[in-house]
Amino acid sequence: MPDRSDHTQATLRQSLQGWLWVAPALLFLVVFVYGPALTNIRFSMFSFSAMSLDWDFVGLNNYLRLWNDPKFMTALTNNAIYAAISVTCQVGVALVLAAVLEARVFPNFSANLFRTALFLPSILPVVVVGLVWQLLLTPTTGLIDQILWETGLASWSRAWLGEPDTAIFAVIFVSQWQWTGYIMALFMVAIRAVPRDLYEAMEIDGASGVQQFWHITVPGVRETILIVTIITILGSLKVFDIVWVMTAGGPNHSSEVLGTMMYRAAFRDDMIGYSSTIATVIFFIALTIGLVQIKLQKDR
Amino acid sequence: MKHLLAVTALATGILASLPGLAQDKTVVSFLHKFPEPENMAYFDAAVAEFEAANPSIDIVMEAVADEPYKDKIRVLMASDQVPDIYFSWSGEFGRKFAREGRTLDLTEALKGPEWQSRFAAASLEPFQFEGKQFGIPVNVDSKYMIYNKAIFEKHGLSVPTTFAEFIALNDALLAAGEVPIAYGNQSPWAATHYIGDLFAKMVPDDVRQADYQLLAPADQLYTHPGYVEALALYKSFGDKGYFNNGANAISHQQARGAFIVGRSAMVYLELVEFYMLADTPVAEQGWGFFPLPPMEGAAGRNDLLTGAPDGFLISAKTEHPEEALAFLNFITSPDQAAKYVSTTGMTSAVIGSVTEQTTTPETLAGLKALEDAAGMALWLDTDMDTASANVILAAGQGLLSGDETPEAVMEKVRAAAKETLAQR
Repeated sequence: MPDRSDHTQATLRQSLQGWLWVAPALLFLVVFVYGPALTNIRFSMFSFSAMSLDWDFVGLNNYLRLWNDPKFMTALTNNAIYAAISVTCQVGVALVLAAVLEARVFPNFSANLFRTALFLPSILPVVVVGLVWQLLLTPTTGLIDQILWETGLASWSRAWLGEPDTAIFAVIFVSQWQWTGYIMALFMVAIRAVPRDLYEAMEIDGASGVQQFWHITVPGVRETILIVTIITILGSLKVFDIVWVMTAGGPNHSSEVLGTMMYRAAFRDDMIGYSSTIATVIFFIALTIGLVQIKLQKDR
Repeated sequence: MKHLLAVTALATGILASLPGLAQDKTVVSFLHKFPEPENMAYFDAAVAEFEAANPSIDIVMEAVADEPYKDKIRVLMASDQVPDIYFSWSGEFGRKFAREGRTLDLTEALKGPEWQSRFAAASLEPFQFEGKQFGIPVNVDSKYMIYNKAIFEKHGLSVPTTFAEFIALNDALLAAGEVPIAYGNQSPWAATHYIGDLFAKMVPDDVRQADYQLLAPADQLYTHPGYVEALALYKSFGDKGYFNNGANAISHQQARGAFIVGRSAMVYLELVEFYMLADTPVAEQGWGFFPLPPMEGAAGRNDLLTGAPDGFLISAKTEHPEEALAFLNFITSPDQAAKYVSTTGMTSAVIGSVTEQTTTPETLAGLKALEDAAGMALWLDTDMDTASANVILAAGQGLLSGDETPEAVMEKVRAAAKETLAQR
């Protein structure tokens, strides 16, 4: 029978080995993720500008100021709309598209063509996509406006990116155009992992395509649905690039999201402390979503 | 193996000696916002020429575009990695650096006829803070309404001499089915050029200066009714259709392009954009320019032109002030200034550098108009404090889209200015 102390030593040795293996990654996380996150929380309690080396401690005043800032509610609402539409399109529509393309409804050539066409936008850089769509959406001379005029829909013509009512929706639309195909590809992989026997059995029982979708595909890829939903919501929360390129949060802050608001506070308004406050709020919202994800996975 | 070791040792020795060679030189870092090919052609040549004349100095130059520059310089300031020489707009943008002690006092270095007399007082003044010179002007710029001569002739229109005539001109163009003014306000600095000019015309100069520099008592900041009237006038341009459709969704460059191909009768451009009109359709049709005309009976000044000099500052923490000053002196020498104008198409702040030999007749005429003006109303977004300017920037879009009223905008400006004043 082995000695108890030998066993403890062996466990410790094994444990130490484990710690050594994860040490580089852990160190990286502490230095580049957790450290800055904690430093950011500290920054959020100060008022200071990029120009000045003087810092004023203001406690929670920056949080109070943020709460009372009308732009904050606009940004939060825009992020929520962004997330809701993204989940609907990138999870709902992408799943349906994937199911249709995998159900062999189309001949192989057509299916491959659709798959490629839908996936293609996701390999383009966001800045390029933003600039191209900006040109397409230009009032009067843009392609979209010209199509509307040529097809007798002139009354629909408007400055999509220049009007407060439509700017954020135009940006969200472009984002869906770019990413729905990418998520569709992820779903296609997940659907292929579902045993074909199940579909064949349902087909023999006379089930329709829709019934197969609801009773086999959806339950079969629910893990992917959960992960993709979380990724999409987190992506919507931290969205910055496409909004900045297409509208820079304008006109008149109507398409502002938390990311652009944070950037503007730091790099345009010289309020680094206030910007850190916005970053902290984003961090805690993301943390909450992450915890919900963990809980949902555990409950499964 | 021995050979391999010998080669490795030799290579290591050579590599190790390279930084040593570099360290013999005094490195002066230089950051500016002119990365366009024509500008870089000048700056690359100027740096090479200066280094050839001063072999002990190594100018390490970096250029980023206009908008990213605003971000980059703030990051460098915040991280205390300020370049030895760096670009700045004049007005509050530059004053901010001076106020926080981030600039070298250049007053003494500039004194005397040799250097100081190269510049007009109007170019030097926007780079002064509390009586001290904190920057050297490099170019001057001003804003003009450019018009298409063919369109004007087609409708029998002439250049307006008063603001009332300018309004009538826009009405006439609208009635004739033309788009009067091409306007791209996607980046809202474009709006501040209109609004800044109108503020200068409609608000007494002393009141405006006291407001911009937050020298007025807190309860009197931005209370002059001229501000609201100016914003209402700007809004009316949009409401009446003087500007093209969807100005908030169009970039300034797109608007300029629309004017160039004859889609509008006028466009509000900077003097430094004049050279871009050469060899274009509008150049064939003919174009002219005029400043926004004087406003009869307005409370402000009608003899100011909207514009400003751009310049270079030296970091207060530079370890090589002599070398940095020598470089700035070099690039603002008459010879270099003439090269700057002829290579870039810009208008140098150095007197006598813009001539028939170095630039186009239109740019020369634009500069003459600037010299004839009594002074400059600086770019609004770089002249006001940042918080107040940000309100105006957003309002430039909000007023056009109907989301803001002039009164509400000025209320926000007052609140922002008061808060900034309280923090100083």
